[in-house]
Amino acid sequence: MKRLLGDLKPGERACVEHIEGGGALRRRMMDMGIVPGVELEVVRRAPWGGPLQVRLKGYYLAMRRGECAKIIVTEAHQEHREHLLASR
Amino acid sequence: MKIALVGNPNVGKSTVFNALTGSNQQVGNWAGKTVERKSGLIQRANQEIELIDLPGTYSLTAYSQEEIITREYILREKPDVVMAMVDASNIERNLYLVLQILELSPRVVIGLNMLDLAQTAGITIRTSELAAALNVPVVEIVAAKGKGIEEFLTEAIRVGELEQDLSPVEVSYPKELEQKIQAMEDLLAKTKWATRYPMRWLALKRLERDPEIGQEWKISTSQSRKSKSKDSCCDPGDVVNYELLETVVLPGDDLLQTYEAEGWSKDHFEMAFADAKYKYISHILPRFRTHENPAKPTWTDLLDRWVLSPIWGYPIMFAVLAVVFWGSFVASAPIGDAVSQGMAWTADVLVGLLRWGHVPDFVQSLVRDGIFAGVGAVLAFVPQIAIFFAFFSFMQDSGYLARAAFLGDRFMQLMGLHGKSFFSLVSGFGCNVPGIMATRTLEDPKDRLITMLINPLIPCVPRLGVMSAVVAAFFPGSRGSVVMLSLLFLSMILVMFSALFLRRVVKQTERSAFVMELPLYHIPTMRNVLIPTWHKTYSFLKRAWTFILVASIVVWVLSSYPQGVPMNETWAGDMGGWLSFIGRPLGFDWRIMVAIVFGFTAKETTLSTLGILYGVAADASQSIAQAMTGAMTPLRAFTFLVVYMLYIPCLASVVTTYKESGSLGWTSFGVAYNLILSFVMGWIVFHGGMLLGFQ
Ligand SMILES: Nc1nc2c(ncn2[C@@H]2O[C@H](COP(=O)(O)OP(=O)(O)O)[C@@H](O)[C@H]2O)c(=O)[nH]1
Repeated sequence: MKRLLGDLKPGERACVEHIEGGGALRRRMMDMGIVPGVELEVVRRAPWGGPLQVRLKGYYLAMRRGECAKIIVTEAHQEHREHLLASR
Repeated sequence: MKIALVGNPNVGKSTVFNALTGSNQQVGNWAGKTVERKSGLIQRANQEIELIDLPGTYSLTAYSQEEIITREYILREKPDVVMAMVDASNIERNLYLVLQILELSPRVVIGLNMLDLAQTAGITIRTSELAAALNVPVVEIVAAKGKGIEEFLTEAIRVGELEQDLSPVEVSYPKELEQKIQAMEDLLAKTKWATRYPMRWLALKRLERDPEIGQEWKISTSQSRKSKSKDSCCDPGDVVNYELLETVVLPGDDLLQTYEAEGWSKDHFEMAFADAKYKYISHILPRFRTHENPAKPTWTDLLDRWVLSPIWGYPIMFAVLAVVFWGSFVASAPIGDAVSQGMAWTADVLVGLLRWGHVPDFVQSLVRDGIFAGVGAVLAFVPQIAIFFAFFSFMQDSGYLARAAFLGDRFMQLMGLHGKSFFSLVSGFGCNVPGIMATRTLEDPKDRLITMLINPLIPCVPRLGVMSAVVAAFFPGSRGSVVMLSLLFLSMILVMFSALFLRRVVKQTERSAFVMELPLYHIPTMRNVLIPTWHKTYSFLKRAWTFILVASIVVWVLSSYPQGVPMNETWAGDMGGWLSFIGRPLGFDWRIMVAIVFGFTAKETTLSTLGILYGVAADASQSIAQAMTGAMTPLRAFTFLVVYMLYIPCLASVVTTYKESGSLGWTSFGVAYNLILSFVMGWIVFHGGMLLGFQ
């Protein structure tokens, strides 16, 4: 099921499917490690429509909702495999 | 030997740099940029090493000033060795930059830092495996405790002295990409220019249509320029200029066209390369990293549960800000007073000496009332600035500043600004000078400029003091607080409006992206807090000094000539008189205009100027304000308050804006904007008030 990152509830995880738009914003996201296939977790949302705190690759990122709406995600089903890989 | 330190923001580069260079640092700016350039000389085993601390960056593309600087430095100045620092607790993303560096620079040593943090988070890194996977030396460090730093440097020197370049690992791209890279490499191999960079890197960048590929640059450290700018007020520091020598037309345009037709555009290539690098990292990661219990919450998680909580986050932030404000603007007051008193005392001693030497009166007055009074007023700020910056460095290094940006971002978004502007604007309430300086954390130069220009609209503590005295005199009782709140509200609205308006003026078309790392919490080291504080205070003093001295003398001349006449007949008084045509539509008499003119150096003097003009002998601000009530209607007083709140805060803030923006044009624009806005608002308030039937 496809969703936007901005629609996830705190505690939910998903995998990046693709990033809409281009230019500087997309490159910036790429530099921070948001590329297709990466697993993201929304940790919390700032009140009154403020930014989201997202966890990926073991670190934290703050992103605005507008930016999160550019990231299309799918349900994270690779979770298991990744953990296995990491602890190998 | 030239060695460069490179790494992501917050990996501990400054800690290593400070430990290696100690006090032997030169801090300046990168030519034409507002980013600090830090370099230092180190002596090791009859080798002189120039160590450069490049700004923290996430990649080597050309997205931000920091990235451009780092890239240009490595490309154009070609350091002998690159010391790449990596955060062990966040190695996956950190290696992305490392892979980019490995493609570009053949002599790299990796410093694996934050091993203590990684350990507490349950992360183990097998250093030898990491070194084997990348085929470059890796040194373990815990920079905050000083461990491994010397070994890191020794290893870098060893690599620098090797006969042959290292042969670091090459990222293997998917087959389709590899073919395209190979085709481009074959084409490029024929040009002479291409021999100066690693061929594979060139091919990648050519495919990404990097504009800098093919350009040849000359480095010039023009001596004359350097010495000339030394004594001007905004010394850009260590000036290294790059001059474009020639642009070589590289082959491959046809090939690029073909790829474009196949759907391989610039963006497409960039994405594919990034993707491949991350895939490669996840592929090699299990060889050297194990993460036990990744679900176990770390210290940072536990703290953030409170610090970033929707309920507790804001009270905590207010508490933190209160401590910072109290520390920098209240607790520092006695030191500031001591500085003023010290200056006054020195002035008295000097004047005594001059009198003894029968030096003419006007020289004595110049020394006491001009130089010492003017410079003293600015020096009294210095303790505030120093303490504020110590707090600022502490919050930045500890990771709290990013959290404050996270919490404040919602408000900044309304103005089209970045969350990091929040702290600068809030600091403005304490004093606009550090508020303007605090814009340094903003990456986007335009955002930074806007934040700098709107900062003076926020009333600082001294201004609030004068305002509340006037409010108390004219609007007794509970009406006073309503008036005060309405003034603060007006300033908020104008800050917001100006931010939106200035975005048009500076042509900020792109909405600033807010994709910001929330680093793990760290305990900052003493040295990391004190060294930047010292540099900032020192550079403020050094650069402001001449300018403020000259300005103080000018103000003194204007306000004390012709000699022996009352204040309103001096040149400055005359100026107030001429300017009363501006004040008249606002209902101001010449006294107010004179006070406004005099207030330019430091606004807190306005009340005492008014006291003299209204002939009030008393010193206390309350009684001066009381005396004004006879001469003014409440509406006029309110108009005065509006203008007073909004026009330029003080000379020091103007000098700081000039220094931080590096542009005389924008500084003048800011001053003009402030003046016009304040008088226009005053006019609106005055006439609006009259229409509504207020007196
Ligand atoms: N726990 C821990 N903290 C460190 C280490 N090295 C640096 N720090 C802290 O990390 C923060 C950021 O370091 P800094 O040198 O300012 O990073 P820079 O942004 O790369 O220059 C500071 O608070 C340092 O005290 C380390 O090895 N372990």
